[in-house]
Amino acid sequence: MAKKLTVVVSQGQSANPVKRKLEEDLVAALLFERGVEVTVIPHLYDLAPEGTGMLCLQSIAGDMVVLSWLFPRAAHWTLDRNGIRGRVGTVLLQSEAEEDDGEEDEDEEAADDKPRVAASLPAPNRTIYCLDLRARGEVEPFVAEIRRIVAEASVQTVGIDLLGWIQGSPKPEQLNRYLNPGSANVASTPEKQPAPVLFSPFTLKPIDTAAGGKPANAAPPNGSPSSDTAPVGAESASDAAAGPVRVEEATARRWYPVIDYSRCTNCLECLDFCLFGVYGVGGSETILVEQPDNCRKGCPACSRVCPENAIIFPQHKTPAIAGSPDGSAGALKIDLSKLFGAPDAMDVAVLERDVELVAAGRDAVGSTVGIPKRQPQKDRGPKDELDHLMDQLDGLDL
Amino acid sequence: MSDELVFMMGQFAAKFPVDRRYAKNHMWAKAAGEGGAFRFGFSAYAVRLLQDVYFLEWTVDAGTPLREKQAIGAIESSKAESELYAPMPGWLTEFNDGLLSDPSGINVDPYGEGWLFAMDGSGETLLSPDEYLVHLAASWAIAERTIKGQINEN
Repeated sequence: MAKKLTVVVSQGQSANPVKRKLEEDLVAALLFERGVEVTVIPHLYDLAPEGTGMLCLQSIAGDMVVLSWLFPRAAHWTLDRNGIRGRVGTVLLQSEAEEDDGEEDEDEEAADDKPRVAASLPAPNRTIYCLDLRARGEVEPFVAEIRRIVAEASVQTVGIDLLGWIQGSPKPEQLNRYLNPGSANVASTPEKQPAPVLFSPFTLKPIDTAAGGKPANAAPPNGSPSSDTAPVGAESASDAAAGPVRVEEATARRWYPVIDYSRCTNCLECLDFCLFGVYGVGGSETILVEQPDNCRKGCPACSRVCPENAIIFPQHKTPAIAGSPDGSAGALKIDLSKLFGAPDAMDVAVLERDVELVAAGRDAVGSTVGIPKRQPQKDRGPKDELDHLMDQLDGLDL
Repeated sequence: MSDELVFMMGQFAAKFPVDRRYAKNHMWAKAAGEGGAFRFGFSAYAVRLLQDVYFLEWTVDAGTPLREKQAIGAIESSKAESELYAPMPGWLTEFNDGLLSDPSGINVDPYGEGWLFAMDGSGETLLSPDEYLVHLAASWAIAERTIKGQINEN
C-alpha cells in the first residue's frame, strides 16, 4: 500500500501576487506528483490554536513536508507547540546564500554539552520537513526536493510498517484500514473529519504529555507508527490529480514567541524577564509559551535576553530573531552593526520592554526586574569581609 | 594638508576633514545653518569598512524623535551589512533621498553629496576630530578582530 506524503503549503500573510503565484504554481505542479497529497492552509504562524487549520494539521499522520514563508526552525517549532511533533527532516534545498557556507557549521553544535529540553521529550516517530518558500523564486527546485523526500520517506515507512507487522501488533483500526483501504478515505477535507474533540491549546502541549499529565488524546498521536494511514493523506494512487485540501480559516495577524526546544536549556530567564505573563512552566517544570496572545505586538525583548538564542519571533525583521539557521543571518557578509554603534542586546531588550509597559499603562521598570545577574568575573577578585563571613557560615555545618 | 587628519587602517589612509565633528558610530556631523541642525554622513573609516554600498534603507520617518543608538535603518555593501543607529539624541529632519535610488554617492563623495540625513539636536555628545582619532585608535584592534574573526568563521 503506497502511503502518501502530505505536503502542506502555508500561504503568505498578504495577498502578495508574487508569493501567491509561487504557491499556486507549486500546488498545481504537486497535484501530478505521485505519492503526494497537498493541503493548503493560511499562514501557519497566524493559525488559531483551536482553529480549523491547526485541527487539520493535527489530523495529518505520518511524514509531512511544510512549505511556508518562514524560516524552517520557526515553522517546525510553531507546529511542535501545537502538538504537531516530528523529527527535524533534513532539507537539502537551501537558499543560494546558505549553500555557500555549508559544512563547517556542523561540528559547532556538538561542541557543547548543555542539556536541551528537546532531549527530555519523547522522540517523535515521524519526520517533518520544513522548507522555506523564500529559498527559490521558481517551482522546479521545490518539486525536485519533494521528490527526493518522497523517496526518502517511503524507505523509512516500509521499515516501520514491516516492523509493526513482524511484531504482530497492528491496532484494530490500523488493521481495518489495511483491509478496507477505501473506508478511511471518506474524509479528505477537514470539514468531513470525525468531529474533533475540543481542547484547550494548553492540554495539547507536548510537555504535559511527557510529564504524564492529562493525555492529549484529542490530538492525534504525535506521529506514532500506528497511525500510518491518515484521514488526510490516504487517497489511493489513482486519484493523483484530485484537488488539494484547502483549509479556509479567517486569520488575523498574530505575534508571539516560539521556543526552539533543541536549543532551550530551561534556564527560565525569559519567564523572569517578560512582565506580560506570556511564559509559564508546564507539567515537567519545562518553560512554555503559555499565553501567546498576551505578547506585545512587535516586542522581541525576551528573545534578546535568551542566552541560547532559542526564542523565535518568526515575523521579526532581524533574521537571527526570526529563526534563521545558525550563522546564515548575513550569509557571507560581515556584520558591522557592533562597530557602527549597535547597543548591547540586554539594553535593547530593557528599552523595548519599557516601551511596551508604558504603552500598556504600566510603569517602566528599566533593568531592575528580571535581569539575570551574570557576574562571571566576580569570583576572581580578592575576598572581602562579607565573603569571609559567608565562608565561615558555610563552614559551620549547621 | 592641514585641514584633515589621517588614520592608518592597515595600509589604507583614512582622511577626516577638521571642519566638522564626529560621532562614535563613525558618522561625521556638520553644522548646517543656524541652531542645532546637523547634517550627517559616513566617515572615511566607515566607508572603507563598507566598501561599495549596494543598498540603503531607513526604517524611521523624517520628523521622528530619536534616542541615541536607536535603530534607524540598514545598509548593505559588497563586503558587509549593518543596521544603522542614531548618532545622537534629537529629531530626524531630512533624508538624502537621492541615495535611496543610487547609494553609490556614499562612496563617491562621502563628505559632501553622499551625506545621509539631517538632525536637530544639541550635538553635545559629538567628538572633535582629534577626539575621534583617539576613539579610532582605541577601537581599531576590535574592528580588526571583528572583520578577521567573521571572515574566518565563514
